[in-house]
Amino acid sequence: MTAIPAMPRLVRAELFKFRTTPGPWVCVAVAVLLTGLGITTSFLLARNGVVHFTAPTTTTQLRRLMGAGYTAAIVMAPVLGVLCITTEYRHRILTATLLLHPRRPDVLVAKVLGSAIWGLFMGIASFVMVAAMGIPLLSAEGGSVSDFLHQVGPVVPGMLAAFILLAVYGMGIGTLVRNQIAGVILALGLSLVLEPIVVAIFSSLEHIDVNFLPTRATQAIAGSVAARGVGGASGTVGALLSWWLGAVALVLWGLGTTVIGYFTNFRRDVT
Amino acid sequence: MTVADGAVRGATIEVKGLTKRFGSVTAVDDLSFTVKPGRITGFLGPNGAGKTTTLRILLDLATPTSGSCSIGGLRYRDIPDPARRVGAVLEATNFHPSRRARAHLQMMAIEAGLDSSRIDAVLALVGLTADARRKVGGYSLGMRQRLQLAGALLGDPSVLVLDEPSNGLDPQGIAWLRDLLRHLASEGRTILVSSHLLAEMAQTVDDVVIVSRGQLRAQGPLSILTSQSQSSMRVRTPELDRLSAVARGAGYVPRPLGDDTVLVDGVTPEALGPLIASNGIVVYELVQVSQNLESLFLELTTSMTPHEQPPEMVPR
Ligand SMILES: Nc1ncnc2c1ncn2[C@@H]1O[C@H](COP(=O)(O)OP(=O)(O)O)[C@@H](O)[C@H]1O
Ligand SMILES: [Mg+2]
Repeated sequence: MTAIPAMPRLVRAELFKFRTTPGPWVCVAVAVLLTGLGITTSFLLARNGVVHFTAPTTTTQLRRLMGAGYTAAIVMAPVLGVLCITTEYRHRILTATLLLHPRRPDVLVAKVLGSAIWGLFMGIASFVMVAAMGIPLLSAEGGSVSDFLHQVGPVVPGMLAAFILLAVYGMGIGTLVRNQIAGVILALGLSLVLEPIVVAIFSSLEHIDVNFLPTRATQAIAGSVAARGVGGASGTVGALLSWWLGAVALVLWGLGTTVIGYFTNFRRDVT
Repeated sequence: MTVADGAVRGATIEVKGLTKRFGSVTAVDDLSFTVKPGRITGFLGPNGAGKTTTLRILLDLATPTSGSCSIGGLRYRDIPDPARRVGAVLEATNFHPSRRARAHLQMMAIEAGLDSSRIDAVLALVGLTADARRKVGGYSLGMRQRLQLAGALLGDPSVLVLDEPSNGLDPQGIAWLRDLLRHLASEGRTILVSSHLLAEMAQTVDDVVIVSRGQLRAQGPLSILTSQSQSSMRVRTPELDRLSAVARGAGYVPRPLGDDTVLVDGVTPEALGPLIASNGIVVYELVQVSQNLESLFLELTTSMTPHEQPPEMVPR
């Protein structure tokens, strides 16, 4: 009757919905592909102005290989979250959901948790790709696998947190927008186009701190992995938030958009 | 199948002073009615009458502008375990096209905390067992309707709210639905079923709630509505004018239908026969036309009074 006993089954239902539609699987597949691309680029090292395919050796280079899924997180985790809610609007699954559980805040909380779990799954899939492709390549190029494995601790927790929190952020965007296509375009456009522009324009201004923007907060969480990240200002990371402040900022972006979406959209009439 | 939980057996649906406006459109206009358990209540009205809107508000999918609805005295959102108490089929289908039919029901079972053993039972009940592993995107309209019904019955609910459930069903499907609803009502369940086609419902429903333009036009047992409807007599006579005058003199309303035929409203054969005989009027044909349900429905749901009806609409 109360929210708490119902929550496990609501979350299970969300996970089941994800599992039984192609969208989330496509997202994970694309994330794995992007990770493969990231792995390949982390072997491309410039020396004397010439790009060589060679094993990464410095700590920073090894971490970049470990965190090769960074682009996947920035691009695909929000899309995954967007799908979690917009698919329900698009195919009116929300009607079925609300008939079975009419308390809407519970449903939205279950979706946040479901997105987070699938974000984690996407992150794990990305690291499986790093292990499956990165380690053999590294040994083939004569790199040190044990040095590489020492980067698990500094890189993996932050990256998984980034996958999880970005999925929740995407879910918040989807709650605001409702339309699937618009949600996907907005999620991609924000992190790939709008945020870099905002960062470029405002980072020179003293009193505006762009580090609280979602992509910059993600960079803070992911740490040195993101030093040459795709989102955000490439090459010129500059000072970032501390990892924990970045995590707080990203949590607030996710929950903030979700709460605003709840009050503007989710309480509305459903057809 | 039996009602699992006696607690809500006999749940009454109540709609009280319900109004819903969409901008300038008043979809539901101060609507009140009651739906009793153990009977099938037809919620009837033409397209756009406000049926779907009313049912959506009843199920807490939409908020009313004013007024209220309850099932067993509770608002839908306050019903504990609603899937076990209320099963609903709404007009718009709510399936993901890539999801298999069985998975759709599984999703519902997980969400509602229902035993998944019910899935096969309801699939068999609606005749979809053989197609259960197909993706819903490839389903026909009738199959979707059956799947919706399966979903509504998953929790073995004691109240069923069905919005145009016969949409897309073939004649056999409609007959099957009728038998199913009859059976479910006989177990003491409350069944509210909307339709814009009275003909499909006339043999199914016990009670009717008739709406038009968001307003209640009639409510009660089907039998009372039909018996309340007035009887008319169609008379073929060479003395049309004299008959009309006599009828008018006795307080009835004659309406000429042709050169030698007249329809006298509001009169029984027992009243008109002696009147004709005592006036010595020659009659070729004397037929009672009791108003049928369909014409009553049309009459109630259009603004026209019987007198304004064109001759084609005269009941026969
Ligand atoms: N979401 C909506 N927005 C605007 N108008 C609506 C909406 N839903 C229904 N209406 C209007 O309300 C009226 C009643 O519609 P509806 O309840 O669907 O009727 P019925 O189910 O009896 O055919 C119609 O005029 C319809 O256009
Ligand atoms: Mg309707």
